[in-house]
Amino acid sequence: MNHSAMNDSAPPPPLSRRALLRRGGIIAVVAPRKGAPAGDSSEDALDLHVCLTAEGRILAFSGHVDLGTGIRTALAQMVAEELDFPFEAVEMVLGDTADTPDQGATIASETIQVTSVAMRIGATQIRTRLIGLAAAALTCSEDEISLRDGRLYRGEADIPAIGLDTLLANERLLLPLAESAQFKPIDHHRLIGRSVARVDIPAKVDGSFVYVHDVRVPGMLHGRVVRPPYSGMDAGDFVGRSLIAVDRDSLAGIPGIRALVVEGDFIGIVAEREEQAAEAALALKAEWRSFTPPDLSDVAQALRTHPSTPRLLVDEGDVETALGKLEKRLDRTYVWPYHMHGSIGPSCAVADVRADGVTVWSGSQNPFPLQNDLAVLTGLPREQIDIIRHEAAGCYGRNCADDVAADAVLLSRAVGAPVRVQLTREQEHLWEPKGAAQLIDIKGGLGPGGSLPAYDFHTWYPSNAAPTLALLLTGRIPNQPATLRMGDRTAVPSYDYENMRLTAYDMPPIVRASWLRGVSAMPNVFAHESYIDELAHEAGVDPVEFRLRHINDERAAELTRATAERANWQPHIGPRMEEYGEILRGRGFAQARYVHGSWPGVGAAWAAWVADVAVNRTTGEVTVSRVTVGQDTGMVVNPAGVTHQVHGNVLQSTSRVLREEVSFSQTTAVAARDWGAYPVLTFPELPAIDVLLLDKQHEAPLGAGESASVPSAAAIVNAVFDATGVRFRELPLTPERVLAGLGRLPPSAPAAPQLSAKSRRFGLWSKLGAAFAGAATFAAASFALAPSIAPIARPDPATWSAATIERGRQLAALGACAVCHTVKDGVPYAGGLALETPFGMVMTTNITPDPETGIGNWSYPAFERAMRAGIHRDGRHLYPAFPYASYAKTSEADLQALYAFLMSQPAVRQENQPSRMVFPVNLRPLLAGWNLLFRPQGELKPEPARSDEWNRGRYLVDGLGHCGACHTPRNALGAERGGRAYLSGGEAEGWEAPALTRISAGPLPWSEAELYAYLRTGTSQHHGAAAGPMAPVIAELKELPDADIKAMASYLASLSEPLPDAEIEARASRIELATSAAANPATSPVARLYQGACAACHEPGRTAALVNAGPALGLSSKLHAATPTNLVNMLLEGGQHGIGSMPSFATALDDRQIAELAGYLRGRFARGKPGWEGIEEAVTKARKAGR
Amino acid sequence: MRTTRRFALRVNGADHLVEGEPHTPLLFFLRNDLSLNGPKFGCGLGECGACTVLIDGIAARACALPVRLAEEREIVTLEGLAGSAGPDPVQQAFIDAQAAQCGYCINGMIMTAKAFLAVNPAPSEAQVREALRYNLCRCGTHVEIVRAVMLAVARARTGETGTP
Repeated sequence: MNHSAMNDSAPPPPLSRRALLRRGGIIAVVAPRKGAPAGDSSEDALDLHVCLTAEGRILAFSGHVDLGTGIRTALAQMVAEELDFPFEAVEMVLGDTADTPDQGATIASETIQVTSVAMRIGATQIRTRLIGLAAAALTCSEDEISLRDGRLYRGEADIPAIGLDTLLANERLLLPLAESAQFKPIDHHRLIGRSVARVDIPAKVDGSFVYVHDVRVPGMLHGRVVRPPYSGMDAGDFVGRSLIAVDRDSLAGIPGIRALVVEGDFIGIVAEREEQAAEAALALKAEWRSFTPPDLSDVAQALRTHPSTPRLLVDEGDVETALGKLEKRLDRTYVWPYHMHGSIGPSCAVADVRADGVTVWSGSQNPFPLQNDLAVLTGLPREQIDIIRHEAAGCYGRNCADDVAADAVLLSRAVGAPVRVQLTREQEHLWEPKGAAQLIDIKGGLGPGGSLPAYDFHTWYPSNAAPTLALLLTGRIPNQPATLRMGDRTAVPSYDYENMRLTAYDMPPIVRASWLRGVSAMPNVFAHESYIDELAHEAGVDPVEFRLRHINDERAAELTRATAERANWQPHIGPRMEEYGEILRGRGFAQARYVHGSWPGVGAAWAAWVADVAVNRTTGEVTVSRVTVGQDTGMVVNPAGVTHQVHGNVLQSTSRVLREEVSFSQTTAVAARDWGAYPVLTFPELPAIDVLLLDKQHEAPLGAGESASVPSAAAIVNAVFDATGVRFRELPLTPERVLAGLGRLPPSAPAAPQLSAKSRRFGLWSKLGAAFAGAATFAAASFALAPSIAPIARPDPATWSAATIERGRQLAALGACAVCHTVKDGVPYAGGLALETPFGMVMTTNITPDPETGIGNWSYPAFERAMRAGIHRDGRHLYPAFPYASYAKTSEADLQALYAFLMSQPAVRQENQPSRMVFPVNLRPLLAGWNLLFRPQGELKPEPARSDEWNRGRYLVDGLGHCGACHTPRNALGAERGGRAYLSGGEAEGWEAPALTRISAGPLPWSEAELYAYLRTGTSQHHGAAAGPMAPVIAELKELPDADIKAMASYLASLSEPLPDAEIEARASRIELATSAAANPATSPVARLYQGACAACHEPGRTAALVNAGPALGLSSKLHAATPTNLVNMLLEGGQHGIGSMPSFATALDDRQIAELAGYLRGRFARGKPGWEGIEEAVTKARKAGR
Repeated sequence: MRTTRRFALRVNGADHLVEGEPHTPLLFFLRNDLSLNGPKFGCGLGECGACTVLIDGIAARACALPVRLAEEREIVTLEGLAGSAGPDPVQQAFIDAQAAQCGYCINGMIMTAKAFLAVNPAPSEAQVREALRYNLCRCGTHVEIVRAVMLAVARARTGETGTP
């Protein structure tokens, strides 16, 4: 179990190493602690491997950690087995630096194979000693004593002869760890080789498990970091030296901020609440030096040209001569892309930096190396830094866990309190050290009779040291890259090539990289096992038969035969290309023993794959339908655990081979920041998996954590060759790549963007200047200021009845006064919001009853004149952004109620800001001329032929509701146009206000019911959700009685041409069908971006599955509009601040991704509409507007 | 405008008042104010499903759901599934099928399965896979997860409860 003192619901912490070593009543196996002075036998100087207490508790300690693979359970099995105690008696302590031995990083599948040996020996030692103690106490020979299930028996008796408590009461036996021990014979195993349920799963399933993300300590604050723009780069002169300035004022107004920490290129923010820290990290403005990312548009080229040092691994025979004598020469190149670890939970850590030391709760894979890093970061001795290790999200390599721990230390030190730092999804994607790309050249071929005279293998691998980020960002360590030697894993093929030369090209990193499952072995085996398949084909021999002829390892041969037999492998020569309609089926084989660790390395388990694939030759989609996987793991500790690991390896590696590839951009290096841009395998794509574990219990146990991934790529590619006759040597096998390989074009792509119509806004802009120039001359001369109306003392709110004020409140909501007259985070009605209009920036004014800065000294006649005629109390003309032409239609009684409401609000003193209008509109007197031209019409007269409801609706829509202010286009002079233009679509604050009439762009006309639903809830199932400036309007409309909403719906519906409900439903389902995933296979990166980023909430037919589900995109007005404005705005802004729940994708997607996504959505969901023009411009404009 | 106010949340049958802004995701309040660790932060974008809770019985991605939309509705988290008699049948099936590796995504798998089975108590395996399509797992536990859900389905049909 994890340490969990910080969580109320967690079990008590295990006894610590020091506490155990100090107490009596124990037998423990110890060894000198790393770095301890020779001869020191205090508890500080001793590592504890296994300890048995008089109460019958067994504690076993490993410096390795459980990465979610169930190693905690398997280790406990081994200890319990050798000790002859019940499994349940064993408690594992993993990875806590204060308690466990420093066994380095948990890598290379070596926990069972290598690290467990010490505790297994220790368990054996304790067992032997216990029997010795019992024999002495009972004065009999040791042969008479047996230990079964944790109890000591004498002879044949079935009652325990002596209890542990008696035996150990006064003992404190510290046994030095032996170098070796005689383990139990296999046929005596009760636990090893038996499937045992994992100890961690019940708590993971009920929510009580304490992941590092769940650690809470008293007084804990929340931190976020802001990373530099050189995303995913950790070497080069710019690293740690790119920050120019940080604008601390950009955090003003965000509550709860405790610290902004800046050191070198490190920026962190500490706040009281997590959402405050998150908001601050987004809001912080920082200026960075520009940087040029490496060109990774062609990974193979980048690897080949990056400076590298050749290292000859093997040079047997005379390769050059043999190459010259081949009967059939085959030179091949294989390319492996960058991958992500892709932990589902972004990394997280808690640090508490105190005067007496540092405690860090971490999900690190490497607690001891991390301890060293933190010593460098803080300047403290290692011993003062405690890493308490908790499980985190599965990683299968090294993600940002160490980075975030160091971040937390810097932030905790700055505020003197514990700080939890949670990385964002975007940061984890961008900055996790990637699984490195790789390039392999093989020269060779066939000799006489299918012999293998030559194998000249060259492998390029960029290094993967990935120093802990904070050390680089703060300049603690040099920003120059280290070159490691890690490209040589499994570089030796398992076939007898007569002459062989293997060369690894070591090079510094290109982008930040670390080891990822099957490090460098997966790509090397992709090459080895593809190449042998190519040779088999050239030789005209069945691929399995050909391998068996040349294989040089008996266990590999045995596994190959067993796996082929299990899969019912049918020998065949050449690709079979079995056709089933547009589907081609095929089968492929590959095998390897995963050899890891420093050259020449250590062998882990052997694994072999038979993969069955289906290739759709129309779409290019590859499906792995079945995998038969054989594994020789040596002794299997927990068969269920190993099978589970094999399943995990098969699915994860299938995902990597079919789908995964890190994308890069010209501006930020790594481009993929979410699951849309880096898609992984999903449930519908699961292959059937058949696992064959060879019975090798008499052999030593071998690492099982990675081996089954290693043959994946070649097996799948070989199967695709069998299906199609085409050989793929570059991954992933995306539909585009497969189609290109098959020499086919992609299926009907969405319509290319080519609409010629310019946005209305730009049209309006261009006409403005000329029109106003004409208007100016006559207006300027003829019209002066209107008279001012005398100020009054602020009226006493008691003047009005509560009913009048309440009516005024509803009318203020209808008019959405607060929406414009309130600045973000400001006091309602105090003004200050900047409204962007075609004529410049209008600043809204303070309409609270403050006598000096608001309207407190306005009499009702002054207020009424402003509302009806657009004239300020002092006689100035108001800009028509204030829609007095609409308000003029309001009844006297309603205006009085509105006045009463506003006058009874709290008075707020807030000076008004000047508007910034373009010439000549900045000349206010001209607006009088505008009024002459477009004189408001005064109160509306009811139309007697229409219902009362309709007339009420028109009064609300055209009056205080002022819908036309946004939804009616304006003429060149900025006035709402009449006639057919009425409510035919306008604009507001950079958003398109769609038409509310029969020319509405959506595929379904507005009905009264949908209008009601939209106005009441903000969402119409047939049109979409309110967004942008409409969202706060809907929020305000909540104040209106149902009858008024129904009246507005009734009136607005009369502007459209109704369709029968049945026809609407029929059209909606036709659209759903045509826009569904089934009709639109994901055969491009942007289609997969949609799948990963949008489909969970928007996929047609799924809208009932999630509370968050958004409207059907095939019906959405945003997608059917003439311009991409609203869609782009929505993608960037989201709807969370309005009425919906759509998150903003502004940080998750870059401009290119947003533009491509908008284009894709238009093509897929707005059937029959032309593609959009100017998407990139719309994105640029929206970003500039701060979206 | 910054409009900090109190929100009445009904979670796992108990009433809570939390204070914050209306657009702040529900997940922050569940985890940080109510110490409910079942729902996990995975992406903040509603893409991966690790944060899933039930709201009025329907699956909700709490990382992307503004708290104002959860007000005065019935919220259930992973912690709220178990009854006095022990784990919920779906949880028990996940234990029996050993359907977790790192387990970070498991909250989402269980909660999504709960919501799905409430609507479709006797699905085919293909339907279960489709229902879980937008819940991501990195460890490759998919096989065990599908088995767990099908086990829960089979037990519901036969009335068997599984080993507690």
